[in-house]
Amino acid sequence: MAEHNLEQVDKIREAVKQDLLGGRIDLLLGWEKGHYWWQSRPLFARCEEDLDKLAWDSFCAVNLSRYLLEELKEHGKVGLLVKGCDARAFNRLLQDNMVPRDRVVLYGLPCPGMLDYDRLTEEAGRALLSITEQNGQIVLITAEGETTADRDQMLLDKCRDCLYPDPVVYDQMLLSPQGDKEAPERFKKVEELEALSAQERFVYWEKELSRCLRCYACRQACPFCSCRECFVEQENPRWQGRAYQPSENFMFHLIRAYHGAGRCIDCGECERSCPVDIPLQELNRKLIKDINELYGDYEAGLDAELDPPLLTYRPDDPAAFSEK
Amino acid sequence: MKKVIAREKLPELWAHLAAQGPLYLPIQDGPVVLFQPWAEGAEVNLDAVNSAVSPKDIFLPREETFMHYRTSGRQLEMTPVEANEPVTAFGVHPCDLKAIELLDRVFLDQDPPDALYQNRRDKTTVVALSCREADPFCFCSDFGVDPADAPGADVMAYLTDSSLLLEARTEKGKALLEQSGDFLADASKESFSGKEVTTADFNLQLEGLAENLKERFDDPVWDQLYKSCLGCGVCTYVCPTCYCFDVEDFGHEAEGERFRCWDSCMYGHFTEMAGGHNPRPERKERVRQRFLHKLQYYPEIHNEIACVGCGRCLRSCPVNLDIVQAIKALGGETVEQC
Repeated sequence: MAEHNLEQVDKIREAVKQDLLGGRIDLLLGWEKGHYWWQSRPLFARCEEDLDKLAWDSFCAVNLSRYLLEELKEHGKVGLLVKGCDARAFNRLLQDNMVPRDRVVLYGLPCPGMLDYDRLTEEAGRALLSITEQNGQIVLITAEGETTADRDQMLLDKCRDCLYPDPVVYDQMLLSPQGDKEAPERFKKVEELEALSAQERFVYWEKELSRCLRCYACRQACPFCSCRECFVEQENPRWQGRAYQPSENFMFHLIRAYHGAGRCIDCGECERSCPVDIPLQELNRKLIKDINELYGDYEAGLDAELDPPLLTYRPDDPAAFSEK
Repeated sequence: MKKVIAREKLPELWAHLAAQGPLYLPIQDGPVVLFQPWAEGAEVNLDAVNSAVSPKDIFLPREETFMHYRTSGRQLEMTPVEANEPVTAFGVHPCDLKAIELLDRVFLDQDPPDALYQNRRDKTTVVALSCREADPFCFCSDFGVDPADAPGADVMAYLTDSSLLLEARTEKGKALLEQSGDFLADASKESFSGKEVTTADFNLQLEGLAENLKERFDDPVWDQLYKSCLGCGVCTYVCPTCYCFDVEDFGHEAEGERFRCWDSCMYGHFTEMAGGHNPRPERKERVRQRFLHKLQYYPEIHNEIACVGCGRCLRSCPVNLDIVQAIKALGGETVEQC
């Protein structure tokens, strides 16, 4: 991986090591390398040897905040490395009263955006041996030679329209902030779909959702899906059947999307986790856009003190509380 | 029997085969390749290495209706549904066919055999496709699979840049090539062989692993291994050797259908009992179950590990908790001596 990150990894490791060995935290949630250079998987570090495995590179896409739900059952205080989206996910969980703030130490990692392996291999056009990164460029190294690509073009979809790469909540910022970003194309796909007729949209979603395996990876990876019991598993009444019928596909995905209205932090973990690449962000972004248009601009997870529009009532809300 | 067909003629062959019954092919569906029944205009992708989801779907469909029901007053009418048409599974790679043979032992080597599975297996002719390349996730060689050849195929197919070579290996396969004679040219004088393909080498030490695991149910390794698991069902659903299913109804009291569909041992409800007790209450027990099923329980009965190295869990697990990580954590890694 890119050499320039080694310095950052040392910096991160030093900071968290003090806290882990000194007892400020009992566990650190971070990333370690998987089998491949393009995979960084969750690391659950309890001791110094565990921290030797710590990785921070362009493939740390997994949002770690969700692991707090389980790890706080076992550990008194948990340290969490947070990128921009991870931090907003933390705020989401905080607002849902799923995590106590005082039992979590957040280490902020401003995020350059994570890379998409499929995109890199497609760009390289052949087996990719490794990459290096320099000044916003990626050098793709294959057996036949090297080519370069714009880093921005190689990002995961979930990172392309990121507005807030810097953590919005943290106890300690470990690296230099990147500054907020612009995402002029964030709602482009949503607008294209809005321009279609209802029938055309139905056909589009029926086709996209027909691939759904009901593996629920989107839900399991999602920071707003923190319900202790999901409607999918409720037995009485039974909301969600198992048939692979359009009605059941729509039932799951639309109900899930609506549950995220004003609560989805747009981290894109649902779409990244989907094994059959259903464009779930389009559904979520439609609701983000609608909420913004109906209730004024609101970015979920940005400020834990600011309640989601659908969880508050104001006399000047655009829709009457009840129709007279 | 050996035949050949030019690549550009393949759509004619697809149309011919699909006219007899469902013809499953690796088809580009948006951004992913999936085995789906061919229809006019489908974008067949024979060059794809592995489909996103395994072709087990052809034999153990993610949903299979086996009965319609209708009630009227106190009368209940039930009509069995049976798939009767001949099926062609075209383009199944050697790892995936090996996986189907592992499923055969589960569904067919029992008395009575599973009728739904047997029906589909009997009616299906499998045209296996020799791999021309491996992707970085492929590690089938570790499980004795030859990516160039599938011994269980009815027809073995070899793709070249310009044509597809077909060699019948069984009576079923011969029949398929015979009835497609109008589209195929004779190639009896040619010698067919697959390309040599190198797959990933993870230094896996599988010898004795199943035996070794017998004493490892309470091993502390499980306390760590499951941690990153999100509790979704991706691994089980993309896996070619996972076969657990459930039976449900779709419809209402007056009319509907009964179907069986995939289920996943990664879900809490999988083992939840009527009284509310759950013998696998948390992710730890479920992760352990899935890996031990592949690496110990199945081998205890069938003398083989229930993994074929297709690499789908390595590719698709959102947090990269895959079978290679499990095997390594459980000590199935060759450690080099210093």
